[in-house]
Formats: sequence, structure tokens, C-alpha cells
Amino acid sequence: MTAAAPESQRREGLLHAIWQRVGLAPVLLTALLVVNVWLNPARFGPAAWGTLIGLAAPLIGAALASTPAILGGRGGIDVSVGPTMGFVNAILVKVLIMNLGLSSPFIIVPMAFVIGAGIGAVNGFLAAYVRIQPIVATLGTYLILVGVTLTILPAPMGTIPHWLKTLSGPFSIIPIGAIFLAWWGIRRLPFYDHLMATGSDDRAAYTAGIAVSAVRFFSYVITGAFAGIAGLMLTALIGSADANIAPTFTLIAISAVALGGVSLAGGRGSLFGAAIGAIDIFLIQSALTFFNVSTFVLQIAYGSILVIAISLTAVEDRVAKARKA
Amino acid sequence: MKLSFETTGARVAGAIAIAAGLHLVGALVIDGYSSPFSIRAMLVLACLLAVACVGQTLTIIIGGIDLSIPFVIGFANVVAAQLYGEGMSFALVCAIVGVLALGIGALNGAISAGLAIHPLIVTLGIGTIIQGCVLVWTRGFPSGSAPAAVTQFVSIGGSVGPVPVPWLVPCFVVLSALIIVILNRTPYGRRLFALGSNPRAAALALIDPLRMWMITYAFSALFAAVAGVLLLGFTGSAYGDVGQPYLFQTIAAVVIGGTALVGGSGSFLGTVAGAVVLTEINTLLIGLGLRPSMVQAALGFVILLLVSLYGREAHVRNTI
Repeated sequence: MTAAAPESQRREGLLHAIWQRVGLAPVLLTALLVVNVWLNPARFGPAAWGTLIGLAAPLIGAALASTPAILGGRGGIDVSVGPTMGFVNAILVKVLIMNLGLSSPFIIVPMAFVIGAGIGAVNGFLAAYVRIQPIVATLGTYLILVGVTLTILPAPMGTIPHWLKTLSGPFSIIPIGAIFLAWWGIRRLPFYDHLMATGSDDRAAYTAGIAVSAVRFFSYVITGAFAGIAGLMLTALIGSADANIAPTFTLIAISAVALGGVSLAGGRGSLFGAAIGAIDIFLIQSALTFFNVSTFVLQIAYGSILVIAISLTAVEDRVAKARKA
Repeated sequence: MKLSFETTGARVAGAIAIAAGLHLVGALVIDGYSSPFSIRAMLVLACLLAVACVGQTLTIIIGGIDLSIPFVIGFANVVAAQLYGEGMSFALVCAIVGVLALGIGALNGAISAGLAIHPLIVTLGIGTIIQGCVLVWTRGFPSGSAPAAVTQFVSIGGSVGPVPVPWLVPCFVVLSALIIVILNRTPYGRRLFALGSNPRAAALALIDPLRMWMITYAFSALFAAVAGVLLLGFTGSAYGDVGQPYLFQTIAAVVIGGTALVGGSGSFLGTVAGAVVLTEINTLLIGLGLRPSMVQAALGFVILLLVSLYGREAHVRNTI
């Protein structure tokens, strides 16, 4: 054999590894980008990138936030990510900025983070220690958060300080970057390996001496803290407090996560994949909006692309497995 | 096996006890809570919820979940009203809606089992598509209404002979008995529990998972469609989002009823008790004069409280 064979094999292995980590999402991303730029060069020209990132930021944040809890496995999921963002939005604008007159970033940003992490800790306690099935536990907090948010905020109101508004444009890359930086740090801790091991097979992980419950607990705390940051991004984008926008993010974020190749069974996937999945969904929405189709058609297309994309990912997985066998 | 049956039995008993306890509290705290009218209203509401929960119970026992239920409810609600409003005979309308629902459910099951994708995301995707299709078809403004027979069938003021409950209630009792018999006494029921508790062993027992999933999800969608048509009779006019509250309520009712979300155990009797518990809580909280938003928050809190009392999962160390 020539020397070229192992070289191409290795390259194929690398491609395959990338594919395994993020699935179909990057292919879809490229296709969608081409379509969008072709349809609407002005909107997608380099000058508009900042605005675009700002518009996509809350969804990307919600998808990133949803991922750690899902990685923990055994039905791990946080359906309260959307309502957490809404609650953070309401507290920041209504209570801190309007009622208490606190608008310094050194108070607002840590508060978003702390509120999110606190809600995450409650979710983690319920799911990991009380051992309520995660979808039910976070559904409970979902209902509580939506109810409380609507009570604080019966109608949309409020304004935000200037520094927060600037986070809605090109600078929205800062909170997203902060989340990735935090995750980059977490990946360097033993915790990350424990989380992935727990997600793949919690019984094996437990017998190997991993504190499975504690690992799951912290996965929810991280999810909550990221959701708090996503709430900050949402606040920057909408520029006021609105109780009705955020809860809708939950299901879209979970779709984005699945599209981004994160296994809903746990133990497989990455934040990077989740972000690409979210951008995919954003691009689908904006391409369809360009055609001026009704939101109804948008819904059909969005559902179809989701089902087709995850089906293709599953088929590819099968083919890869069959080839290996 | 015996142990798990006892646990499920205990959970069902717990759910029934809580429903009774809630009713007692309501009767003590709120005037007229136990009046015949209020009991009839709660019975009808609980029956409607429990019909929507049939599918959720079956799909959770098999080890899945069905998030398309609210969308199929809305689909059946709007399509039935629209077709009936255009002058089609109601029997034909029901047949069309039923067949379409069976098809939607079978597709859900086929994709989930055939490609081994988590049903959560499949049913959500399919549900979104269905809702979009219905909206496009009606341009967002559904019209039409329910035939008087359906309205009478679910009307709170209706009566069966001398008994002051609408026909929905006795029919639902028969339906529940049928489902309980099917789950416990037929090959289908055994296969369902076998697949849910151990898919690999089930395959060795010559159970065809794809076929079982398709049948089960088809049933789920069919009962969601039934709930949609009944809701049409209950509210009087078509509304595409009528099923949305049922998204999480069906899951909550099933879990309160003692069915584990990991699959392989559970009972429909428990789900019925769970539906009654949810209806009681809702009525109680509204009766106490809470605002709708606070009712929602309190509902979340009570679900957490109840499930932490008796719906807890085993620790990893006990699953090895």
C-alpha cells in the first residue's frame, strides 16, 4: 500500500470525529448561510453582522444553557430555561432598575448570573437529590417562574440603561463569549469528564466512584447560570421587561440542541454544536421571513427541517456503525 | 416484578388519597365546593383531561413521551369544526379526523423507533408541522362549530336518565375499564410493559418494537383527537391552541398517577387519579381567589410537592 492510504484514512477519521460531535448542523449552517446571503445580501452583508448576532443571541444563549443538564443523562433536561430568562428579565428591569434604581453593570450582571444559578440550584436539588424525574421537576419550576413573572409584570414595561443596550448589537458576542470561556474552563476540570461519564452510563460511573448526584446537581447549576446570562441578552435585545416572550424559548432551545448533535439521552454532544444548531434555527427563520411567508408556513418549515435533520443524523449514525461492523 | 407492582399500586393509592384529601380541604374551606354543580363540573373537566392522558400513559409506559398531544388536540378541534361547518356529515368528519390522527401517531412512532431518535424531539417536530398545516389551511381563523350532540354529550348540565352527569362520564368509565383490561390482560399490554422495562429482552421475546411503537403512538394521537373533538363540544367553537394547557398537564397527571417516566411500569387508574388531583387543585386555587398567574405558580409548587412525596426515582446505587 502507498503512504497515501493512512493519510486519507486519518483525514476521514478527523472529519468523522467532527461530524460525530456536531452532526448535520454545520452542513445545514453552510447551506442556510448561502441561501440567506443570496436572498438578501444587504441584510447579511458584513456591516449587518453585528445586528444579526444581536438578534440571534438570546436563542444561542438559551441553547447553550439547555446543554449541560441534557449532557447529564437519565432524562436530564431543563424545560425551565425559557422562564428563567423571563424571570431574570423581570427582576433586572422591574425590581433592580425601575424600583431600586440600580443600573450599574457591576450589580446587574452578577445579579443575572446569581439568580440564574440559584434557580439552577433548585432544579438540581429537585432532580438530583429529591430525585424527581427532571422533566417534571423543571416543569414545576417552569410553572412557578411563569406565574411569578406574570404577577410581578402584568404588562410589558420599563427601559434599560445605555450600557445594556449596547449589548444587543455586535457586543452581544461578549456574553456568548463569556459562556464559552466558562465552559472552556469547565472542560479542563475533572467535573467535565465525570459529567460525560454520568451521562453515558450513570451506573458504570457510580461504580467507578463518581458522585453521580453531585455531578448532576452542578450540571443544573451551570444550566441555570447560563440561562441567567441568556436572560441578560434577552433584556438587552428587547430593551424592556416582557413576561410573554421568554417562555417560548424553551422548546426552540431544545430543538436547537438536538439539531446541534447533542444526544438527548446524555453523554454526547458539545456546546459548540448547540450554538450551531441555534444559529441554524435563526437562519431558517430569517430566510423564511424574507419570503414574507406567514408565520404559519414558517412553523411547518421549521418543524420539517428539525425532523429531517435529526432523521438524517440518525441514518448517518447507522451507516457509520454498519461500516464499522 | 412483584415489588414494582406493589410500588405502582401504592403510588396509585397515594394519588387517590390525595384527590380525596384535596376535595375534603376544598369542601371545608370554600362554600359550595362540594355542591352537585361543582362536582359535575370537576368530573367533566377531569374526564376531558384524562382522555387526553390515555396516550401519554401508553407512550410513557413503552419508554417514550408524546409532546404532540396538544397539537393533535388543536388539529382535531379545528379540522372537525371546519369540516362540519362546511356541511359534511359528522360521522364522516370523525372518520377523517380519526384516520389522520392515527397516521400522525404512526409516523411519530415509526420515526422514533425506526431511527432510534428521542421521541421528545420527534413528537415536538411533528406536532409543530401539524399545527402549521392547520394554521395555513384555516389562515389562522378557524370557523365552524360542534354538532349539538357533542355539546350535549359533554355539557356540565347534561344528564344520563336520572343521574345528573353528562354521557361523557359513564362513557369514560367504560373506556377506562377497557384500557385497564387491555393493559393488564392482553398480549398488547404485556408487550407494552415488556418493551418499556427492557427493550433488549423484549426483542429476544420476539416483540417487534417498531410495530409496537407505531400502534402505541397511533393510539395516543387517536385519543388526543377524541379529546380535541370533545373540547370542541365543550367550548362551542374551534380554537387551535385549545390543547396547549394539556402539554404539561398530561405529563403531570401521568407522573402524579405513579407512572415512572423511564417506562415499564404504571397504570391508567393512577393517571385518572392524577387527572382528578390536577382538576381539584386547579378548582381549589381558583376558588381561593388567586389570580390566574398565581394559580399557575401554585400548581407548579403543588406538583413538585406531590411528586416529591411519592413519585421519587430510585437512587443509582439501587439500580445496579
